[in-house]
Amino acid sequence: MRRHASPDSHELQTLLDHHRPRRVGIVGQPPRAMIAELNHRACEILDLDALLVSADMEATITILPRVYCAILRTVVLNALHLELDMICIDTGPGKCDSALYVATILRETLAIPVVTTVNRDAEPCGHPFCRAELDLTEKFLAITSGVKSALPSANPPLPCRPTAGFWGVPPRDFAILAHFPTTTHVYGWSRCLENKTPADLALELHYNPEIPTVFFAQSFCAKTALARHLAGRHPKALYLDLDLHTTSSARAKVQAFLELTGATP
Amino acid sequence: MILADFGTSYSKFLDLAEAAPQPRILATKELDRNLKVDLATGHNGKRFSQEYVNELIALARGAEALIAEPTYLVLDCGSRDIKYIRYRDGQLLDMGWNAECGASMGFTIELLERYYNLDFRHLPVPAKTFSVTCGVLGISDIFDAITSGDGEAEAVARFVKGIAINAYRFAGSPEKLYLSGGLCDNPLFVQSFPCQVEPLGRFVLLRGLRHILTAKGLESK
Repeated sequence: MRRHASPDSHELQTLLDHHRPRRVGIVGQPPRAMIAELNHRACEILDLDALLVSADMEATITILPRVYCAILRTVVLNALHLELDMICIDTGPGKCDSALYVATILRETLAIPVVTTVNRDAEPCGHPFCRAELDLTEKFLAITSGVKSALPSANPPLPCRPTAGFWGVPPRDFAILAHFPTTTHVYGWSRCLENKTPADLALELHYNPEIPTVFFAQSFCAKTALARHLAGRHPKALYLDLDLHTTSSARAKVQAFLELTGATP
Repeated sequence: MILADFGTSYSKFLDLAEAAPQPRILATKELDRNLKVDLATGHNGKRFSQEYVNELIALARGAEALIAEPTYLVLDCGSRDIKYIRYRDGQLLDMGWNAECGASMGFTIELLERYYNLDFRHLPVPAKTFSVTCGVLGISDIFDAITSGDGEAEAVARFVKGIAINAYRFAGSPEKLYLSGGLCDNPLFVQSFPCQVEPLGRFVLLRGLRHILTAKGLESK
């Protein structure tokens, strides 16, 4: 299993020439060179981190423990139910060790090639949607759909003055985003994702201490430690972790936090 | 205009059309299913109201109206959950709402008082406690203690103290807290906290709704 390197250009060409995939599932953000090659070959790319099937999550419990990162459980659920020709999973510092283990398990479970990559891309592509004035759910849809293209956004929106912040990964359940104002800026790994530099720790650590910020992580994810640590340093912060769904108490906490800190009227 | 706090076990009402409005309490299970009030909060609030305010906001606004200090922590212990708001220098510092691991603590305390025919007004605070993180799971500790020879009252008192300590830790182990909710009327519970406690009573959320109306200019102080 490849742990320390992505397939080089020649290996990638050989792999793609041999398997000729049409539908490729990706997990995390594989290197731009790989996405560019998949774009060039007109492959359909499916982001397996996102909710793509409505199947019961219980279908994954023979493969992963119930108490596990909901994003990776979703990856497995998608992989079990979608007709894919290949899966590319980033297992580098821009994703997590758990993705490496899930890649190992999927390789032994599925009949299709499961390729692991280590994305160390450092060329910034910008993060205009993270700073735009736009409904936060729309913002996250734009950011997450960007992983399927090697190119930065063709029509980047203009930045706005922020009144609130959301730090963290794209949540599994976007319902938590509903109460934020359109002037919410996005920070953390989501900003790295739009910037196409998922392993950029300095960018991930950045936040704005002037605006009330929700520091979010998926339950059972290693990023909960960083989210809580940064929330402790920020003068107006709410630390929040969620598992599969947005609970009513989580929704109420976000709503109350935004109202009581003056981020929303 | 009628304001209401629809809790899991009890609902509290305030009719502002009355000359001297006084809160009234009804068991939630006895409510008319077609009831509609003007402004409400609480677990069942959305079902029974024209306009809903979430419980953390109602708690915060009620505390703002009742507590003169700029720095404080208010903890609401309800039937089903526990939640707190902490302010420092008049600014929100922290909040929490434990609806899962703090589940059903208040409800379980009331259930145990009736089942064992106890009166919490006359039970002393026990020296020992149980490590209770959930009302339902904590019952096992009571059964085990009784099986081991403890009296029923002693076992239940240790359970109640365990719940108070769990709520105190959930709120960040403050030196002083303001307590909201029906458990303010339970002296065993109040005295079980290992810190200074100022009970505010069970109408803090109702007071918060009234404070919100005043802020909107819909009711004078």
